Amino acid sequence: MHEARALRTPWKAVTVFLLPALTLYVAFTAYPVVKTLWNSLHVVLPNRHEFIGLANFVELAKDDIFWRAVRNTLIWACTSPLFEVSIALVLALALYAKVPGARFFRIAWFTPVLMSYVVVGIIWAWIYNYDWGAVNYALRALGLGSWTRAWLGKPETALPALIFITTWMWTGFNMVVLLAALHSLPSEVIEAAELDNCGWWGKLVFVIVPMIRATMLNLIVLSFVGKMKIFDLVWITTKGGPLWATETVSTYVYKRAFEWNTFDLGYPSAVASVWFVIVLSSVLTLTWLFRQREKLEY
Amino acid sequence: MSRFKSSWRVLAAAAFASLIALPTAALAQELTVWSHWAAEVAKRAYVEEAIKRFEASRPGVKVKITWYEKSALYASLKTALRAGQAPDVFYAEVDQTDYIDNNLLADLSTGINWANVEPWAKQAWTFGKGTYGFPLEASTVEVYYNTKLMNDLGVKVPASGQFTQAEFLDLVKKAKAKGITPMAQGVGDRPFPGSYVTHEALLKKLGPKDYDALMKGTLSWSDPRVVETLTFVKQLVDAGAFPASFTSLKLGESHIYFHTNPGALMFQVASWYTARAFNPPDKGGQPVGFPLGIMQSPAMNNGACNQCKSLAVGGSYVVNAASPRKEIGIAFLNSLATPEMGNKWLENVLVQTGIKTDASKVSGPHANYFKQLAKANEGNTYYFGTPVQVMSGKPKEVFTQVINNALPAGSISVDDVVKQMNAAK
Repeated sequence: MHEARALRTPWKAVTVFLLPALTLYVAFTAYPVVKTLWNSLHVVLPNRHEFIGLANFVELAKDDIFWRAVRNTLIWACTSPLFEVSIALVLALALYAKVPGARFFRIAWFTPVLMSYVVVGIIWAWIYNYDWGAVNYALRALGLGSWTRAWLGKPETALPALIFITTWMWTGFNMVVLLAALHSLPSEVIEAAELDNCGWWGKLVFVIVPMIRATMLNLIVLSFVGKMKIFDLVWITTKGGPLWATETVSTYVYKRAFEWNTFDLGYPSAVASVWFVIVLSSVLTLTWLFRQREKLEY
Repeated sequence: MSRFKSSWRVLAAAAFASLIALPTAALAQELTVWSHWAAEVAKRAYVEEAIKRFEASRPGVKVKITWYEKSALYASLKTALRAGQAPDVFYAEVDQTDYIDNNLLADLSTGINWANVEPWAKQAWTFGKGTYGFPLEASTVEVYYNTKLMNDLGVKVPASGQFTQAEFLDLVKKAKAKGITPMAQGVGDRPFPGSYVTHEALLKKLGPKDYDALMKGTLSWSDPRVVETLTFVKQLVDAGAFPASFTSLKLGESHIYFHTNPGALMFQVASWYTARAFNPPDKGGQPVGFPLGIMQSPAMNNGACNQCKSLAVGGSYVVNAASPRKEIGIAFLNSLATPEMGNKWLENVLVQTGIKTDASKVSGPHANYFKQLAKANEGNTYYFGTPVQVMSGKPKEVFTQVINNALPAGSISVDDVVKQMNAAK
């Protein structure tokens, strides 16, 4: 009898502990999501809410600016993680191998991630400045004046220039995480590989990378999600221009909600809803693709 | 005892009631204003002076103003208006017709002394039967130029102040050949400076009626006159009319580019140029004694209205339709509608205004400039509004990306401009 009472779930305590977190979750996550989905089916004006069914989604399917934004965001989200994680791995290996000045480089490479996108955006807008920016200055100094251009002002270079910035900014973060993963590797496995005359390339490809695979995949997913939502950097540097070459879905939602001289929140909510579904399904797909089929044993 | 108790109850109730009533009474007389111009000292000083005068004339009324930068203000207002938390009076511009469409603005037809406001400025804020904004700031689109550089090039500006298309193209080529940037435009942080050349040329070529039709999407961008004008603009672009840094050059930087470093021949911009240029040089103003001239944008071949020019009402104040202090808000705006306040704006802010003024009575070191500006506007026919004010939604977005940026940046052909603009209608 006493045992049964002791095993009963203490609902009061569970409620007391869960309620604060649940309240915050409902107020700031669940409710906004549901409200956005509801808005997407309506015209939402200050004094009028009108149900319009799927009309916003039909318009969205024909919206060429939205599709350009989707294309740009997907290019960014698919390329950036690969650059960030692969460069970070090289840097982490360099630090793991204790190259001269490793302590300095660890701090220097990590520093960009400590800055906000706003500061980073301003700094890089200076660096890319046509007249006196460091990039064109260096090109002129090297006698490559014909290569100078307004890096953020030309449709063909603006998006790559921004991808370069996020790569510069986030590689250090990825490097630190990978370095931690490298340090946690069991030394006996690496030593065993060395005893088997395994070269550095073999060690890297057949021993180290498989053992830090889970960390790398998590970093790729994190970076992918971050780029799917990117807004601040674009807003500070190009506002989606030139010719929508750097328009992302987030900047387009903001423009439609606040800059298109319309109070209607329905259409931007439809864009946000579609994008929410795409991001969610992409993350689920990536997680499924990257799932570890066989557990490593060592 | 019970009488004693009940007296205490009455007293406590009275004290409680007064505690509630006091702040309510105070709030009833507090007029809230949200305004752009956080970073514009002269405009802030003008509005704060107007507030002081208004408070002095209305004992018991306090005006609480909050300063913003424009984009932050617009985003805050959209949220506050939806939530019914918007201020009594706020900054707006004439392109924000969504406020009017959603019945968010009070009608100012009565309560303002409109006799002291320029009729075109009132017209700009008149929609249907109502007038919804008080037009404080106004501007015309001018071509400012450096008279010394013009002399150095050996070019004499015609007495009319207006070159022909061919002469203007030749001027651009001459300046470029001498290593002088012809026009100091830049679109790094604004959706309009790159479009001045094109929309002023289109206005002159088409005349106000057809130009209006083009802006409102009822005239095709494939119209031969439009294509001819765009081709002329493309010729200017190809001749190197704009700085190589055009796409990243910010508005403040393009002012400096024109008058200080490296110096450009011309700068086509709204007449609020002076709000920055007449600051002291160490605060971004033009050098003392800078040889500033004003000319007209070029006359178009077979132009329907070569004396036409864009005139825009800019920063204005509106009254929240849901405000319980509407009357006080309107009275505050009416306190600005006097010739004295108009001239004060000119003298201190150094920008045109929708309030009636008398430039001949403007004193101070820049009095001569206002006479020069008045002369440059003699005999002009005005089109009210700039494209970014007249257009909205997708056409405005495409105009900003294509006409303001890609065409003057040389990133797009005339055919593509026509295709993109037609698709956005």
